[in-house]
Amino acid sequence: MVELVPTLLRQELARLAEDDLRLDGRGRWEGREVTLETDCLYNAEGSAKVVMGGTIVYAGVKFELRTPWPDRPAQGSLMCGAELRPVAHRKYEPGPPSPQSIELGRVVDRGIRESGCIDMESLCIVPGEKVWGVMIDIHVLSDGGNIFDACGLAAIAALRTAVVPAQRFDVGEDYTLKVKGTPIMASFTRVGGRYVYDPSEEEELGGDERIHITLGDEGHLHSLQKGLRGVFTPAEFAEIFEVAHLRCTELRELVANQEGN
Amino acid sequence: MGGYGDVQLLRDDGLRLDGRKIDEMRPMTIEAGVLPAADGSAMVTHGLNVAVAAVYGPMEAHPRKIQRQDRAVIDVRYNMAPFSTSDRIRPGYNRRSREISKVTAEALESVVLVERYPRSKIRVEIEILAAEAGTRCAGLTAAAVALADAGIPMRDLIVGVASGKVEGTVVLDLDKAEDNYGQADLPVGILPNTGEIAFLQMDGDLSPDEYNLAMEYNFKAAAEIHEIMVDALKRRYEGGEN
Repeated sequence: MVELVPTLLRQELARLAEDDLRLDGRGRWEGREVTLETDCLYNAEGSAKVVMGGTIVYAGVKFELRTPWPDRPAQGSLMCGAELRPVAHRKYEPGPPSPQSIELGRVVDRGIRESGCIDMESLCIVPGEKVWGVMIDIHVLSDGGNIFDACGLAAIAALRTAVVPAQRFDVGEDYTLKVKGTPIMASFTRVGGRYVYDPSEEEELGGDERIHITLGDEGHLHSLQKGLRGVFTPAEFAEIFEVAHLRCTELRELVANQEGN
Repeated sequence: MGGYGDVQLLRDDGLRLDGRKIDEMRPMTIEAGVLPAADGSAMVTHGLNVAVAAVYGPMEAHPRKIQRQDRAVIDVRYNMAPFSTSDRIRPGYNRRSREISKVTAEALESVVLVERYPRSKIRVEIEILAAEAGTRCAGLTAAAVALADAGIPMRDLIVGVASGKVEGTVVLDLDKAEDNYGQADLPVGILPNTGEIAFLQMDGDLSPDEYNLAMEYNFKAAAEIHEIMVDALKRRYEGGEN
């Protein structure tokens, strides 16, 4: 679909940026309100729903028994995928997975995988023969902007509530999946010439390149991604990196509080 | 229908395994306008089923070959999320979801005033987030509420509802065990105001009398579900809870 709006929208966003304002009245580094719900889907072994402004995302965790990769006979596997189905926005078309949805799933996957929060050896049942495959599926129901952060949050929150269905597969008693750490993503988009945190739908439509940063509990980087056309300076990155620390810590607390309930 | 025979589905006291009476449906909730990005939307929870429907349009129909000169086409996609069932479903279309999408679209085209929008397309996206028997009916009900929420003119709503047979007894609204081990399933889409039927499928084994009884249960339940649908739309538009 051809978008006719962006030229006027870009002018408006640039005008607002001169006074350091945003379309919805937020501060430059201010996120929208986030609500997180876990254990909300009956057939998923772990699940979460994230609402972030007009964005709604579900994540569900499923397990399957599989034979290990030949080069890692004592390790299970982790896979995280995202679907940008046409339910989420009129701009999404039906068909095979688009490059955007593949990028989205892979960026979330890397953040979780590289943080080491899942001990792959704990997923081994019989070395060389039988291991658990953990699958996180992310389902975007409504794209109101910044689906990356919503997907990352839903994925880790769902994973942290997952129960391994050992009984159903006849390999022992069910147990809670061990997840050490809560990797969190923070995303920034260039709008009106400068970066803002947690872009809205309009800001993405009238904005430029985006940067996604996933940080672990210790503040270490686990996944980075620059998307769309545009360039940035090291100084700009240093600035948003500081903000990412703050926002990731807040969202990590949200996940912890949800689990405490 | 499986009909394994070795699973007891009706208790000695005449109630069903989950304690329901034979003509009692699982609890249902409906909320309209749940998806901000959509033109209309609804979420239906029915027992443990969760179905969400989004409506986009009317919009230009493309590719052009799908256009109809005298009316709109309704493009339905029924899809089960990978985590919606006990065993994960590989993402993507399969024969079952294609068939359900087709007959659901045809049912909705029977109530939407499609002749008002020549050469256009109305997209209806049905996503099943949790499945425990009865998802096509929950999806159809959600789609009808989402169309109304989108302000698309219709001559009636459609209520998705099913009855079936377990251990020789006709029961309303099969749950997962009853669906797996029962003897028949009769899902229908009923127009609550006119009493017409826009969606009909059936599998299993029913005598003519059993069919009539199952249909009687379906109509009785459709009246109940219709109230829940209307209530959801009223809450949305009277500025009640939403």
